[in-house]
Order: sequence, then C-alpha cells, then structure tokens
Amino acid sequence: MSHSPSQALRPMSSSALLKFIRAYGQETAVLLSLLVIVVVVSLINPNYLGPANINNMVAGNAYIAVAAIGMTMIILLGHIDVAIGALIGVLASIAGTLAVSGYPVWVCWLVPVLVGVFIEAVVGVLVAYARIPAIVVTLGVVSILKGGLITVTQGVWISNLPPEFLIAQFRLFGIPSPVYFMILLTIAAGVWMRYAPFGRAIYAVGGNVEAARTVGIRPERLTVGVFALHGMFAGIAAVLFGTQLQVIQSTVPNNLELTIITASVIGGVSIIGGRGTVYGSTLAAIFFSAVSSALVFLNISAYWLRAVLGVLILATVLADAMRRRQIH
Amino acid sequence: MLSRYVFRHETILALLLVLALALSANLSDRFFTVDNLLNQGRMLTEVGIIAIAMTFVIITGGIDLSVGSILGLSAITLGVVWKTLGVPLPLAMVVAVLAGAVCGAVNGVIIIKSRMPPMIATLGTLALYRGLAEGISQARSVRGYPEWFFVLGQGEFFGVPTQLWVFGLLVVVAAIILGYMTFGRVTYAVGANETAARFSGMNVDRAKLLIYTASGSMAALAAVIFVSRVSTTRSDMGMGIEMDAISAVVLGGTSIFGGRGTMIGTLLGILLIQTMKNGLTLAGVKGDGTIIVIGSILILTILISNLVNRKRD
Amino acid sequence: MKKLLCLTTGLVLMAGTAYAEDVWTGGDGLPTSPLACDGSPATLTASPYNGATVQNAPDLKGKQISIVDVPKLIGIGYFTATAKGVADAAKDLGNVDAKTDGPTKANIDDQITLIDNYVTSGVNGIVFAANDPEAIAPVLKKALSKGIHVVGYDSDSTPDAREWFVNQASFNGVAKALIDNIASQIGEDGAFAIVTSTFTTPVQARWISEMSAYTAKCHPKMKWLETVEAQEDNILSFNQANTLMNKYGDELKGIIGMTTVATPAASEAVKQANMCGKIAVTGLALPNAMKPYINGGCINGVVLWNPSDLGYAATEVLRAAVDGTLKPGDTSVKAGKLGDLKIVDGSVVLLGDPVTFTKENINNFDF
Repeated sequence: MSHSPSQALRPMSSSALLKFIRAYGQETAVLLSLLVIVVVVSLINPNYLGPANINNMVAGNAYIAVAAIGMTMIILLGHIDVAIGALIGVLASIAGTLAVSGYPVWVCWLVPVLVGVFIEAVVGVLVAYARIPAIVVTLGVVSILKGGLITVTQGVWISNLPPEFLIAQFRLFGIPSPVYFMILLTIAAGVWMRYAPFGRAIYAVGGNVEAARTVGIRPERLTVGVFALHGMFAGIAAVLFGTQLQVIQSTVPNNLELTIITASVIGGVSIIGGRGTVYGSTLAAIFFSAVSSALVFLNISAYWLRAVLGVLILATVLADAMRRRQIH
Repeated sequence: MLSRYVFRHETILALLLVLALALSANLSDRFFTVDNLLNQGRMLTEVGIIAIAMTFVIITGGIDLSVGSILGLSAITLGVVWKTLGVPLPLAMVVAVLAGAVCGAVNGVIIIKSRMPPMIATLGTLALYRGLAEGISQARSVRGYPEWFFVLGQGEFFGVPTQLWVFGLLVVVAAIILGYMTFGRVTYAVGANETAARFSGMNVDRAKLLIYTASGSMAALAAVIFVSRVSTTRSDMGMGIEMDAISAVVLGGTSIFGGRGTMIGTLLGILLIQTMKNGLTLAGVKGDGTIIVIGSILILTILISNLVNRKRD
Repeated sequence: MKKLLCLTTGLVLMAGTAYAEDVWTGGDGLPTSPLACDGSPATLTASPYNGATVQNAPDLKGKQISIVDVPKLIGIGYFTATAKGVADAAKDLGNVDAKTDGPTKANIDDQITLIDNYVTSGVNGIVFAANDPEAIAPVLKKALSKGIHVVGYDSDSTPDAREWFVNQASFNGVAKALIDNIASQIGEDGAFAIVTSTFTTPVQARWISEMSAYTAKCHPKMKWLETVEAQEDNILSFNQANTLMNKYGDELKGIIGMTTVATPAASEAVKQANMCGKIAVTGLALPNAMKPYINGGCINGVVLWNPSDLGYAATEVLRAAVDGTLKPGDTSVKAGKLGDLKIVDGSVVLLGDPVTFTKENINNFDF
C-alpha cells in the first residue's frame, strides 16, 4: 500500500549477475529454498519424493498459485485485496450450485469467472474513481460476501456434483489438470506482463503513477482493468478449488486470503511496488505445500507451521532489503 | 466556517450513530436500557483499546496486522508464566503486557531498519506470533484463574464495567496526545510527508518505534482483559481482531494513506459498529445479515465522505 | 541473502524435529475410562445433580416460549442437521419458537457476544454447543441469573453454567466403536493414523484420549502412527490424508477421521489414489456425505449418532426443564419421538449408542 515511488526507478547496474539478481533474485531464492526442503526431507524419508506425493504437492496448491497471479498484479499496483478468500468461496459455491441444477458444465465453469470479473471490476471502480483505499473496499466486501453466502446457502454443503464437472480431477498423462492451469496461466501472465503494453503499464504505474501518466497511461482505467483480470484469476481458482473433492463446503475458506497474499509477497512482488513477477508467487505456492507436507513427514507438530511461514516472510523481505542495499 | 464542521467526516459519522441508535431503540425496547448499553461497552473494549493504538499507526501511514496474534501470544504468556512457571498472577500480567510491548517493538525495528512496508512486515509477524502462541501452548488452554482476577473483565466499578474505565481513560489520554502534544504533531507529520518530517528535524524513527511498541502493548492489555472476561486462555484468541480494529479506525475517518485522522472519529467508528451489531441482533437479524450491513456501511460511509469532501475542494 | 532464507528454513525445521520426538496422539491428558473389550456395558453410577439452577425463572409451564440455538459455528453439515432437529422439535411441541444463529467460524468471542445479545433480547431458553467449556461459562451463568433456561448439546460447558447437557454418546462408547471398527478392517497388528480438527477442540481431544486408552487396553498390538490436524476444512483434510498415505506407504492400513469433514475428505483421498480396499477409512461422518463411498464399496462403515436427533433432544429437554417436568434427581426424561432418554453423571442426558452406518443401513438415513 504505502510505497515511495522515488526509489523504484534506479539506474541499471552493469554487471550481468547483479542484473539477474535484481530481476529474479527472489524467484531464485524461493526455488533454492524449495530445493533445500525437498533434498533434506527426501533424505530423511524417501517417500517424500514419491510420484504420488509430488503430484499432491504440486497440484494441491495450484488454485492458490492461480489466485496469486492476480494478487501479484494488484500488489504491483500498490493495492491489496483481502476479500479474495471470501470471493473464491462464493464463486466455488456458485459453480457448484449451477452444476447440481443441471446446467452444462461449461456454463458452470464460465459463470463464476464472469461473476469474479464483475465483482472485482466494481472494487476497481471504487478504488480508482471513488478513491477509496483497496484495503477498505475489500474489508467491506469480505463482510458482504461472507454474510451473503451464509444467508443464501444456510451452510448446506453442495454434494452430488456431476463427475464431468469435477475439472480439477481430470488428468492428462497422469498429471492432474490444475498443474496445467497453473503452469500455463503463470507463463502466459508472466510473458504478458513483460511484453504486452498493458502488462508493462502495470509496472510503470506501480513504480510511479505520475511518471506513468506523463507517458500517456491512464492509471484509473488500468486499475479497473487489473482488478477485473484479478477477478478472472479468482474465478478460475474458485473452479479448481471447488472441484477437487466431491462436495463443496459452502462457507468461506478460513485465512485463504492470507495464504494467497503471502505467496505473492514471498514470491518477491516487491515491496516498494513496481517490481516482481508471477513466477515467484507460483513457486511460493508450491513451496507452501512442500513445507506443509514436510511437516507431516518430519513429525513436526503442525502448531509450528504458522511460525515457520512467519519466519519465511520476514526472511524473504529482509533478504530483499539487504539485496537492495548491496546493489546501491 | 460552518460548512467546515458540517461536512467533517466526524459529523457525518455522529449523525449516522444517532440514526443507528434511534433505529435500534425503535426496533427493540431492550436496546436503550442501562444494562444493555453498559454491557455493550464491556464487549467493545478489547477492539477499542487496540483501535486506539491502531489510529496512531495508520496516521503515520502504517498498519499493524499482527495485533490479533500479539493478543494471542500475550494471553498465552499470561497463562504459561502464571500456571506453568508459578509466577504470581499480578506479576504475570505485567510480563504479558511486556511481552506484547516487545512484539510491538520488534515490528517497529523491522519496519524502521528494513524500510519494508508495514503491511508486509506485520503480515510476517502475524504468522510468527500466532505460531509461537500455538507452539508454546501446544494448543492447551490455561484455566482456573482466581476470583479476584475476573474483576477486570467481568466486574464493575461504580456500576460501570471495569474495563470500560480503562478504555475511557486510554481514549482521553490518546486524544490529548494526538491532538495537543508534540508527539501528536510528529505523528501527523510522519504520515503526511515522512521525508519532510525528517528534514524538519523530527525524530521519525523514534516516533515509529514508540507507536508500534504501544500498539503491541495495547494488544497485550486487551489480551489480559479478554482472558479475565472469558476466564480461560487459548492460543486462538484474538484471531481476526486486527480487521475489526482497522475497520473501526478507517470508518472513523483515519486515512489509510496517513496524515489524517482523529481519536474522536475512531471512537465514533467503534460505537457505530457495536451499535449496529447489537441493535440488529436485538431486532431479530441473524449474525450473517448483520455483517452484510456492517460491510456495506463501511464502504458507503467512506464513499459519501470522499464525495462530499471532493465537492468542496 | 538467499543463504539466509535457506538457513532459516532449515533451522526452523530442525528445531521442530528435535522438539517433536514422541508420537503425539492429540489427547487432552485427562483421566480416561476405557470400556470393556467384550462390549459388556459400563456400570452407570447414579450421582447427585451437578448442573446449575436457573434463578427467578418465570412460570411458563405450557406457555409459548422463544428459544435460540447457538451451535459452535454455522455452515457445516453437522450443525445444519442439529439445527433441523431443533426446528423439528419446536414444530412437534407446538409451543416453542426456535431460531438458530451462530458464528461463521468456531470462534469463542463471536459465540459469547452472540449469546450475550440474545440474553438481552429476552429469549426464554438457550441451547448451545460450546466452542470452549470455560470461556462460555460466564455468559451462560448470566443467562441463568436472568431466568433463562440453558441446555447444552454436542460440546459441554462447565456443569455449573447450564442445567442439562445432552451427550450424543459417551466418550468411551465412541472411542470403542471407532477403534473396534478399524481393528476389524486392518487386523490386530495394523497401523493407522488420525485426522482431527485441532488439538484445542475439547471434544475431539477427549475422544482421542479415550481411543488411545482403549487401544492400549484391547488392541495393544495396533500401531498408532500419528495424529494430524486439519481444522474443519475439506481441502486441508484431503491434503493431510494424502500426505499420510504418501509418507507411510504400505505401512498405513487405516485412517480415522475425527470430524464429519475429515472422514469424507479422507475417503475421497483414498478413492482418488485408487487405494480402495487397501486403506480402510472410518470415523465420524454424516451418512449423506458418505453414501458415494460406502455404496460404491470403497469404504466399509462410519460411526455417528443422528445429529438431528441431538438437536431434537436438546430442545425437548429444554422444554421439559421450563415446564418443570424434568427436575434434579430424575433418572430419565421424555423426549417426544425419541422416547425416554437416560440421565447419567448427575445432569447428562444420553442420546444413545452411536450408530455404525454400513452399506446395509446407510440409505435409510437422510442427513
């Protein structure tokens, strides 16, 4: 939220290594941490690297990775969305309700995506044009979605979902479909943000709003567009989330927004705005499931999971601060 | 001159509060009883105490997401220090508040030294402190506090709930510091333009450190009151309370970008939320309906306030 | 800086390993009383009434009353079913207005605030399922002092904060049913793991303690591998069950789900991993959620009481307390369509024995 634009645009360093570290340092750090965990835990218990466990770890948090793509864009712009968890819960319930009412599956998959786009676009308008801070809007939206969902569903689970609806359980070459979604969407978003004008504009606005305005970018429009896009990713994440099992628990998943924001942050969306990629957030999402799986494998009481995550966030951000100092 | 007062955010809020009170009284004859109103005071104290410090934090342009976790960790500290380590309870209460102060100071140091946005830093400590609370307690609750301890959370003093005195005193002190003392001016200056504040010779880092430490201490004080009110200690205490406190502060007109906000606004924000919660329940609206209304009011109030103020500019 | 990140991760993980050496069952550490292995019934000792007394209660015998039902949380199938039971009983009785309202997550503060507001609004009775036995006590005592009748179900408060508590089944009875069930499927030397909600949840912790004691007494060779937490979360339960299977491989023969969320999620994990018949799942579960797995032959049987009956009984007990037909010292209470229910331990109304749902009977239930 608070970011000082003056620090974002810095002269490029001449060293190629420093350049790479500046561009992908955080992504590399997450990847290395992931490798350390995988190596250490699989030395202790080789089952950790069994094909089934790899599948579970990579696929298990795919919906978080997909949602974190949109969140990364939002944070890059200097905003935040604390309603994403509630939104995913609501959209998954919409998908499930349509599915049990007998609509064709493509309708059940498409409608939540459209509703997600619509809701986040409204949030974007309130943020960009009415100038209400995103954290305030989304705090309000959390209450509305949470209360609304329970009022409508009365908390009754959605079961008897038709098998052809359960897209997250489809497999291609033995690999669950969420993995494909995660990889394709991450690469597509990453490339788009680096090369497409609209995507590059996100960095420009996140780095310095006024500078962006002088080169002809309209930050308000861009903000609404990015929120809408974020809603699309939320919709896809919700469909993947809701189709993992045979029932949909029609409540808002607890603390999901924190996990998604944390994935974006650990993934290196920085910190001062205007920098960071979606590759990092996807790696971070996989890293989370690797850690929580590792806790079970190492017999570590799950009580410490949260403490581990906290230390990781702080370590990440401190590392980022130190890196910035080295470059200077 | 007049319009300056009429269009102030606090005025809009006060009108809303009057409206909410009138509506609640109209919907249920049990709302406007001394008993009920004092009891509501009892229940808003913990969020209220946290919101006081949060107002300072947000005026500096920061945010403290870790207060709920500090509440949990302080509560566990209280329980463990008293029960497991056998320290006398009054001393354990002091230790618990100190633990909260240390947590807050750690937040402050991280934010000042690493220059990372407070939201990210406190997101990290949110996870860390809650994790420590769960790890230390192994998720077991501590019970069996002596009867005198409940005075704080369940007792009365001159007919008014004990913790409401504490809350009232803190609000007054905080309002004086923020409105009339140098420290208050520094707080606003940091939020309005940190660089300018530094150049004009203000000790920005010291102010931030003090404010985050105070935020942690207030969360710990809320923890002690909470434990006394519910007579048990659990590691999941205070989960999500940061959102309630932030909502109240923001509803009270404090700008999340910093530099603007008042203690009276925060107080009105807290009262408005509590009135709606209580009034709607008494009127027969269920909990899920109530949170929809509160969410909508939060967005609408800020929206109206923004529009009104922009018209005038 | 990368080193820092790796180092911290490594250190934290290692510190954790050193910390958790023993198999932690997740029990609550309170004394246990395992039942006899052969199923001979426990001796029920009559004990004096230990519930609370409502003060200055108005005489509402036979009159219309309004009550509120406050479950631990709303939005899970189990408490949707208890709420239906409360509504059904209100309808059968004809002179009760009942309403269910609860927090959206199992949170002590929200639940207390909610009850407090209902006390102020002047209901005549409260039925509750406590998120914390101690924390809920002050507000319930306040209700009692204002002439409001208070009856617990599912999860008790301290006895001095309510009049009666309707227990779904005795703790040791549930423990025996679950352990006997898993033993019959995986054999006396099989290894199993537990998926529970959280170690802070009193009821689950109590069951686990009793299960651990009963296993030691009656199935000493069975191996209790591990207990993992999964809150009351579908996806997390599913992931934890998967991880358990991956970790123990062939060694793991059975999984017991301690919540109505965990058991179907664990069954789904076993089914998706094509381990039906190789890994047995049992646990507490609602029949509707288990029909696909039990009818499909993947899972043999699960255990539960009828949660609708539980809500029904709580409402009937409350009405009886209001009418004065249930008094301290009574040994049974009439509960409408459920007939006479036994009273044990001074103030605990027993719903009955837990039911095991199998292919043969599961389709007769709809909740």
